[in-house]
Amino acid sequence: MTGLIRGWLDRLDRWGTAAENAVLVLLLTTMILLAVGQIVLRVFFSVGFVWADELISLTVLWVAIVASVAAARSDRHLRIDALSNFVAEKYARFPRIIVDGFAAGMCLFLGWQAFRYIQLLKEFEDVVLTDIPAWIAFAIIPISFVLMAYRFLLLAGKGVLSVISGDVDTESVQS
Amino acid sequence: MIMAVILLVLAVFGAPLFTIIAASAMLGYVKEEIDLMAIVIEVIGISSLPFLSAIPLFTFAGYVLSESNAPKRLVRLTRALLGWMPGGLALVSLAACAFFTAFTGASGVTIIALGAILYPALQQDGYPDRFNLGLVTSAGSLGLLFAPSLPLILYGVISNVSIDSLFRAGILPGMLMLLLLSGYSMWTSGKSDQPLRRFSFKELAGALRESIWELPLPFVVLGGIYSGYFAVSEAAAVTALYVLIVEVLVLKEIKLSKLPQVMRESMLLVGGILIILGMSLASTNYMIDAGVPQQLLAYMSDFVSSQASFLFLLLIFLLILGAILDIFSAIVLIVPLILPIAAQYGVDEVHLGIVFLAAMQLGYLTPPVGLNLFIASYRFDKPIMHVYSATFPFLVILMLSVIIITYWPTLSLWLL
Repeated sequence: MTGLIRGWLDRLDRWGTAAENAVLVLLLTTMILLAVGQIVLRVFFSVGFVWADELISLTVLWVAIVASVAAARSDRHLRIDALSNFVAEKYARFPRIIVDGFAAGMCLFLGWQAFRYIQLLKEFEDVVLTDIPAWIAFAIIPISFVLMAYRFLLLAGKGVLSVISGDVDTESVQS
Repeated sequence: MIMAVILLVLAVFGAPLFTIIAASAMLGYVKEEIDLMAIVIEVIGISSLPFLSAIPLFTFAGYVLSESNAPKRLVRLTRALLGWMPGGLALVSLAACAFFTAFTGASGVTIIALGAILYPALQQDGYPDRFNLGLVTSAGSLGLLFAPSLPLILYGVISNVSIDSLFRAGILPGMLMLLLLSGYSMWTSGKSDQPLRRFSFKELAGALRESIWELPLPFVVLGGIYSGYFAVSEAAAVTALYVLIVEVLVLKEIKLSKLPQVMRESMLLVGGILIILGMSLASTNYMIDAGVPQQLLAYMSDFVSSQASFLFLLLIFLLILGAILDIFSAIVLIVPLILPIAAQYGVDEVHLGIVFLAAMQLGYLTPPVGLNLFIASYRFDKPIMHVYSATFPFLVILMLSVIIITYWPTLSLWLL
């Protein structure tokens, strides 16, 4: 039974990573091409599209949000990492469970606030890029915060498991 | 108050910084009875910051360069240019690292990409091991003050100071750091008897030919930015596309199939920085609305009367800050608060930026949590205490240069 769940979780993990990579590749490539395209238009034809600049700004936001989810998966969010450098792994994992739990809670809460904001945008029928409903552009935010909450919960859960089973996870979490 | 202490403890325990900042912003919002949804609006606000696309684009370009053989070519070229001088290879290391850091931001990739080539080479040339370790570790954050480094761009975005001015302002202070470290290196290697290499036109020509594809890069980017032809975000886009074409399609040093991995790796750092930026917009906006800078100023004006004593206090503060916080988080969190205070003491905002970054650069090397110390310890498999002590003389010299930079504003403002 646990094997089955673990298998599913692993599969989810691989799909998740692949999805993040695909989105990041798409966004980054779009950003590069749009920005260079704007330069070419400006230099050779003295024109430019306003929507392209807006889209570049939106891509930066999307990259930031999706990359944040990826950073949560790879455990690469910036932290003041004083503890793990000076305290043995065996003791450092207790506070790590607490802070990862805290992070999960915060992300869930932020996700909820973002969801409320999306609803508001929908209500007011805000638009971006001249005619696209703004809530569609920003819907990625609540989703991403919930995904981050899930990652931090997994990290905390892993910590709890390692305390229960008593073995110290020596391999680095960084990928 | 109690909540603030709890958050501080959580931060020290290693909670992701963005969650701490979000929580502190929330506390402020609750106190002022502002809807907590406003935090999300502030996060979305990062999309309206000017030139911000420069950060993901330059970071990506930097990662692509460091994954290719460009570091090797850069070392060969610098060596052909400077290798004949006394302390040649040490100078080569400093110059190459500074150049590479400027182009790749300041994310520790320099030590990994260049240190791995330079450290054994220095050893081979007979430099003492302690010196090599200290040199490579401290050179890893050199170049922070040169365009187009990420911290300079981020400071410009946050403070609304023209990024072009910052790029100009960083040149002389950055050179000062390089010169002082080079002087120290020449002096140390003068004591031991390194055989001098001869300058060879043939080797220089070979090195130039080898790096023919990367050579236009600094000219296009720096020339484009300094001449005002490109905005910094445009320069970043051109760099990213150019590097992508050269390393992946022309030189084929990075397989197309490996590209998604490189993109992901580079964006992990970007995501980490930008999410903190978004949360800090929320928390600092609250703090500015609540008049925190004014309160700080009122408090400080009791015992800080002159610009000189303000700068002294600022330096102490930044050194402590740099020891516990990474440079990116420090910029987004602290700069909005100290800008108005510094203005009251008549400190130029461009000069403030250079002082801020120069002091934070030391943070990479100061215990207990200097990032470069740990990367070097990990990369070269040396005990951390050993890295501390090896880096110490370099730290002292850099400290000296930071003091000069702080109290000699002309150095930063000359080229404006």
